[in-house]
Amino acid sequence: MEEIKTGVYICHCGLNIAGTVNVEEVARYAGTLPNVVVARDYRYMCSDPGQALIKDDIKNLGLNRVVVASCSPRMHEPTFRRACQDAGLNPYLFEHANIREHCSWVHDDRQIATEKAKDLVRAAVRRVFYNEPLEIKERPLNPNVLVVGGGIAGIQAALDIANGEHRVYLVEKEPAIGGHMAQLDRTFPTLDCSECILTPKMTEVGQHPFITLLAYSEVEEVAGSVGNFKVRVKKKARYVDEEKCTGCGVCEEKCPWKVDSEYEVGMGKRGVVYVPFAQAIPHVATIDKERCVYFLKGKCRACEKFCDAKAIDFEQKDEIVELEVGSIILTTGYDVFDSRRIPQYGYGRYDNVLTGLEFERMTCAAGPTGGKVLLKDGRQPESVAIIHCVGSRDENYHEYCSRVCCMYALKYAHLIKENTQAEVYQMYIDMRCFGEGFEEFYRRVCDEGVNFIRGKVAKVTDVALTEGEQGKLAVIAEDTLLGGIIRVPVDMVILCPALEARFGAEDVAKLFTINRRADGFFMERHVKLDPVATATEGVYIAGCCEGPKDIPDTVAQASAAAAKALSVISRGRVVIEPTTAQVNEVLCQACGRCEEICDFHAPKVISKDGLRVSSVDAALCKGCGACAVVCPTGAMSVRHSTREQINGMVEALLEV
Amino acid sequence: MGFGDELIHDRELFSCLSCYACSNLCPSDVDYPVFTQKVRNLASGEGEHGDCAHSGTLLSIMRLTSRSDIKQKRLDWLDGLHTSEKSEVLYFAGCAPYFEPVFEDIEVSPVNIARNSIKVLNALGIEPMVLPNERCCGHDLLWTGDVETFKKLAQFNAQMIKESGAKKIVFSCPEGYRTFKLDYPNYVDLGCDVQHVSELLAEKIGQNGVKFKEIKKKVTYQDPCRLGRHLGIYEPPREIIKAIPGIELVEMEHSGDESICCGTSVWTNCSSYSKQIREERLLEARATGADMLITACPKCQIHFKCAMVDKGAEKGPDIKMEVMDLVNLVANAMET
Ligand SMILES: Cc1cc2nc3c(=O)[nH]c(=O)nc-3n(C[C@H](O)[C@H](O)[C@H](O)COP(=O)(O)OP(=O)(O)OC[C@H]3O[C@@H](n4cnc5c(N)ncnc54)[C@H](O)[C@@H]3O)c2cc1C
Ligand code: SF4
Repeated sequence: MEEIKTGVYICHCGLNIAGTVNVEEVARYAGTLPNVVVARDYRYMCSDPGQALIKDDIKNLGLNRVVVASCSPRMHEPTFRRACQDAGLNPYLFEHANIREHCSWVHDDRQIATEKAKDLVRAAVRRVFYNEPLEIKERPLNPNVLVVGGGIAGIQAALDIANGEHRVYLVEKEPAIGGHMAQLDRTFPTLDCSECILTPKMTEVGQHPFITLLAYSEVEEVAGSVGNFKVRVKKKARYVDEEKCTGCGVCEEKCPWKVDSEYEVGMGKRGVVYVPFAQAIPHVATIDKERCVYFLKGKCRACEKFCDAKAIDFEQKDEIVELEVGSIILTTGYDVFDSRRIPQYGYGRYDNVLTGLEFERMTCAAGPTGGKVLLKDGRQPESVAIIHCVGSRDENYHEYCSRVCCMYALKYAHLIKENTQAEVYQMYIDMRCFGEGFEEFYRRVCDEGVNFIRGKVAKVTDVALTEGEQGKLAVIAEDTLLGGIIRVPVDMVILCPALEARFGAEDVAKLFTINRRADGFFMERHVKLDPVATATEGVYIAGCCEGPKDIPDTVAQASAAAAKALSVISRGRVVIEPTTAQVNEVLCQACGRCEEICDFHAPKVISKDGLRVSSVDAALCKGCGACAVVCPTGAMSVRHSTREQINGMVEALLEV
Repeated sequence: MGFGDELIHDRELFSCLSCYACSNLCPSDVDYPVFTQKVRNLASGEGEHGDCAHSGTLLSIMRLTSRSDIKQKRLDWLDGLHTSEKSEVLYFAGCAPYFEPVFEDIEVSPVNIARNSIKVLNALGIEPMVLPNERCCGHDLLWTGDVETFKKLAQFNAQMIKESGAKKIVFSCPEGYRTFKLDYPNYVDLGCDVQHVSELLAEKIGQNGVKFKEIKKKVTYQDPCRLGRHLGIYEPPREIIKAIPGIELVEMEHSGDESICCGTSVWTNCSSYSKQIREERLLEARATGADMLITACPKCQIHFKCAMVDKGAEKGPDIKMEVMDLVNLVANAMET
């Protein structure tokens, strides 16, 4: 066996580590450990001169193992592996000890922290002794991209990639694409009509030769890894033949049953067979099976009789589509906070308490009131209060700021002023108008004579205390600028509910093996430096599934995610991490426990020269180590986490 | 001894089961297992340890118990049993508390064997001591070549036992028994007797009014290598089994000093050959027509049960049968 020569480098990380850990002492100690030929400490190991120390020592002292004790491997393992590789050392002969997150940042006793740093270094030195050189391989990659969620984020990402002439599968769970943006009337701060800017993009998606649109579909299963995902999509039965349907709408007209329209957020009706909205893409009808009288009671089929295209098909079945893609972009958007959760605001109890989305539909020319701002009884309001931060910036619900409500509240104030003679009251905590043109829009609305009351609303009530409150809703708030409780009688109240993580986001996260933040939104790989990547290689996120944001930010993020996917595609190959499971065929008894435990179907018991043994498909193996744990004989192990390496660390930590 | 590298680095060095089947037949009385033990010691110095099953966890635990300052919590299982702080008899529980969680999935409970051993001792009128800071006996380390750690463990145990004032140590594990009886004297002075629980039972049957209830079963008996060929204890377990009314003991094709090992020793090089040995042995056991296979070593039970739960086993011959430790059988028979 060649002599093991280890170099150990203790990083100060400025004062991040050196402020709590006596780094010189740790370096001195490391120098006394078996097989260590050099131990140094340095201010910033990740800097060029820091890396040069390692490279020079490898060349001059013939090091064949390197340990750096610094930050987390998440941060700089790739940096130091590269440094080793540059100096001709296999990158897997490097070992990272984390004495920052695991030590200096979580302790304040210098003595104890220094001792712990020594323990961690000792464990790493023992582990690296057993490290083996591994070979990094590459394999070709599938250039197709899956986009999940057809809101503006998904639409933008799909178009960017398809315009680069790569195949995109766009999966949308609803019958039509468009997401929330399709429901908006005009968009701040420029007030361009949402429909006018969205419809051309939706049409382009529908017609694009490189986009396969799978609407009314959901992803059921994802296997494989970056470059080679295998995805199972369930295309739900519409009971309408998409090929034959012309979207003429006769079926919906003739359907004798009407239900609340989701698109109109309950303010309008639709048929049980319906096209969600006039510009819907794909422009075809769908039968709402749960509510279809034929499916419920076995009688009706009115739509079928009137369909000239013979598109209605009650026999249609869900269809499974298997896709192969190289990258995945998740754009599943957000849900609007349910304002009923704050009963004191009276939503659901008082007719004239509306949510933002409802007001969007109201001001829309094609909406249920033909664009007029009207009270339930058909009168025009004389006064309107807009309540900010409903469920946002509130420790009882969501601590975060939803980022778009201040701005759409201003938009509403402007639209009310434009359409009615009403007094408008903005009840806000802080005005957050940070984007391009936002502050200017705020000024403009101020100048239109809108009242701004700074304070959180406590309650909306119909109990009148004065003459002036009779027949009105009194909004009770603390005016923090005047320093008193005020009651403002109004005809209409518009709530600005929070944007929150989608119901079911947890399942989506699980399906695609990504993480969620404490607030429920999908977690980016690095908040600042890698905001559209996730913990899973090849899976990206964009738009409101990553957190509340407006359309400009959503679109920018969607293009960023598309660029990430395109950069993987243009590279053409993916690196296969060599840290996969391996079988010692002599020890393998073909018991099959590995096959049973593996979520990725990597190990299979096969027959080899008459002997039954397990065999691992490295392309499927994620190196999670589940098989190594259940293997009774020790035949299965994961490269770079072998039992010698792990047990060596444990024993070194316990100083045996 | 001047060995070449080949021998020391040959992975088959760790395949020997040290079952003594060879020495048993050898006309020149060569002690091949002890020879293997010595070569393994040399190999261990070169970083060779064989391929260790269960990811090496068990051997790591054993090495960990050689730390001087280790604090163990290993007596929870004694709940409800009669033991005493001062007694002439000491029960050595060995690795049972550590094995317990590892073999839960194949439904082997070494702690149950330990509990039943105490119950049986109680029935014989003995309230033994059980030491709270007992160390591993070192058997597996000695046979994988780690003599250094073995010595440390032996010293810890010897000192603790001396301090306890015990006159006799009783084992339910044949490996601990063999180690204390044959290996410890080379390194430490124990100053007391050692005995396997089957020997003690065989002596006491008929005395103390021990009564067995009837168990209607046909059983066969697996001689553990350590108890059988290593120490020559073949009859006491058989006498006990026969003393239980209703039980019919039938012998396998290979039994007594011709008995076949359970296929792996010291958790090392557990290979497809090991499995084949197990399968063949279980087929022999089934061929006797017995309902149950009795063993007197927890490891035999672990290895046989493991072979039976294999998914692959469904594809091979039918080797399923009930396996039970001798002590558990006795405890069942004593229950009123
Ligand atoms: C009342 C209100 C007014 C607003 N006004 C403005 C404005 O004036 N200007 C502005 O810039 N922004 C505005 N916004 C914000 C704007 O709505 C968002 O920025 C934008 O809609 C985010 O788009 P998205 O694609 O990320 O999400 P979404 O629009 O939510 O789209 C997500 C899509 O994914 C689909 N989906 C979800 N889960 C799955 C799944 N598991 N499988 C398949 N498909 C799935 C959904 O059906 C949906 O089609 C407003 C928001 C609200 C609530
Ligand atoms: S954007 Fe304005 S209204 Fe919305 S949560 Fe943030 S501060 Fe409140």
